[in-house]
Amino acid sequence: MEEVVRIESLSFQYEDGKKVLDHLDFSLLKGDFVGIVGPNGSGKSTLMKLILGLLPPVEGSISLFGVPIQKFRDWTKIGYVAQQAAHGTGGFPATVKEVIASGLVSKVGLFRRLKAAHYAKVEEVAERVGLAEKLHDRIGNLSGGQLQRVFIARALVAEPELLILDEPTVGVDQESIGQFYGLLRSLKEESQMTMMIVSHDVGVMTQWVTKVACLQRGLHFHGTADEFAHNQENILRSMYGDAIRVLAHHH
Amino acid sequence: MLADWWQYDFLRYTLFSGILIGLICPVLGTFLIVRRLSMMADGLSHVTLSGVAAGMLLSKKIAFFQAVNPLFFGMLFSVVGSLFIERLRKVYKAYQDLAIPIILSAGLGLFTVMVSMANGFNTDLYSYLFGKIVTVTREDLYALLGVGAVVIGTVLLLYKELFAISFDEEYARVSGVARRSINLWFMVLVALTIAASMRIVGVLLISALITIPVAASLQVAGSFRQAMWLAILFAEASVLSGLYLAYLLDWASGGTIVLMAVLLLVIVLGGKRLRARFLQGRGESR
Repeated sequence: MEEVVRIESLSFQYEDGKKVLDHLDFSLLKGDFVGIVGPNGSGKSTLMKLILGLLPPVEGSISLFGVPIQKFRDWTKIGYVAQQAAHGTGGFPATVKEVIASGLVSKVGLFRRLKAAHYAKVEEVAERVGLAEKLHDRIGNLSGGQLQRVFIARALVAEPELLILDEPTVGVDQESIGQFYGLLRSLKEESQMTMMIVSHDVGVMTQWVTKVACLQRGLHFHGTADEFAHNQENILRSMYGDAIRVLAHHH
Repeated sequence: MLADWWQYDFLRYTLFSGILIGLICPVLGTFLIVRRLSMMADGLSHVTLSGVAAGMLLSKKIAFFQAVNPLFFGMLFSVVGSLFIERLRKVYKAYQDLAIPIILSAGLGLFTVMVSMANGFNTDLYSYLFGKIVTVTREDLYALLGVGAVVIGTVLLLYKELFAISFDEEYARVSGVARRSINLWFMVLVALTIAASMRIVGVLLISALITIPVAASLQVAGSFRQAMWLAILFAEASVLSGLYLAYLLDWASGGTIVLMAVLLLVIVLGGKRLRARFLQGRGESR
């Protein structure tokens, strides 16, 4: 199976000397839907930023689609959905259509303008995420769940092979969270897209993903979602400490 | 009175310059404001002022520089200032707006030192500060035409990149957009626009023309593209009515244009409020 992401002996520390990743080995195969789990400061977001090229690796190596990240240029293969709170875009005077179309910026290329075919693709993706009726609405008028679907559509419009989602359900109501994961699963089933998702809500996320990776500077567990579910208490206790109590809840 | 605008060269230059400024200032302003960089124009205008003073000082001391329009020194200083702001924004990542007061104070400090070194200037500094119709020359118009062509060309060619960076800089970076180069080029364009517009609006009031029409358009626009077009419409209305009134009443052109822009903003805000009340009233009566 093709390796989409390959990480070897990756270490990273911030300028203040705090080491957040220590000799991490990890790989993501084509078609994987992996959930990354870990306590605060375990290096989840740092790992994502490293894969996205937003941070340079201090030690070790990252390869994307078989190419070392330093030489990787084909960023249209990667879609990214950040935390909704991080966007802070409510007051921006843009429509759903304009925001989704901005996902095509690299694919269309420098000095080229968006054409009718590009806008047709925007409409198709909006339909896919259930926003066809909202295309001309200003994003400030959308709910948290709808806004998150706009950001997914922006990531999908360039037809990425790898979709990375960083805490995508923060600030989204419970009903929309269920719809959101349902959408991801159907996307995966339709297109064999590889997906990697970081979420603090372990209980919900692990119900939907096919694989789970538990991170705390290094990799604590990496296996199928079923294997994680069977050993959940032991795995989480080894990461969070004995004080943890696992409470199951259903959405 | 209207016929004067075609009869006299300086009025024609002023009119054409005004129309150009009414186009490029709100276009750049739309991107600046949504990126919360509206004070950037203020910072750069003070640096431009120090450039104009440097040009005047040199022409007073060295005969060779008498043939050089101080506008070009203003442009040079403004561009250097914009590069300096980008550098400072990188150094103070967590306090990016700190770059603006630093550059603003540096510009004003330089300006006052140069004025004192020259023991004052014979040239009418007032016209550079607040704009004056009779001072617009053919050279000023050509400079503005050049800057205007580059600004509009850039926005047409890089619209989607500028939108992506303005909306979500991190996402643009992840997508592989040449964010740093585009940001730098954009700041250079803002600097050149400020310098080229100062004869009409005045260096201390140019930021108002960059921000106020956009502030009005944001109240009513349904999309980013519409916000930009409406800002152009409001800016052109302010410039044309302001220039006409300034000529008619012998007021400073910059001040009059800015007052017209503020008046338009008040009308837009008032209209929006009235509309909301009307809709509310209609909803209650049902």
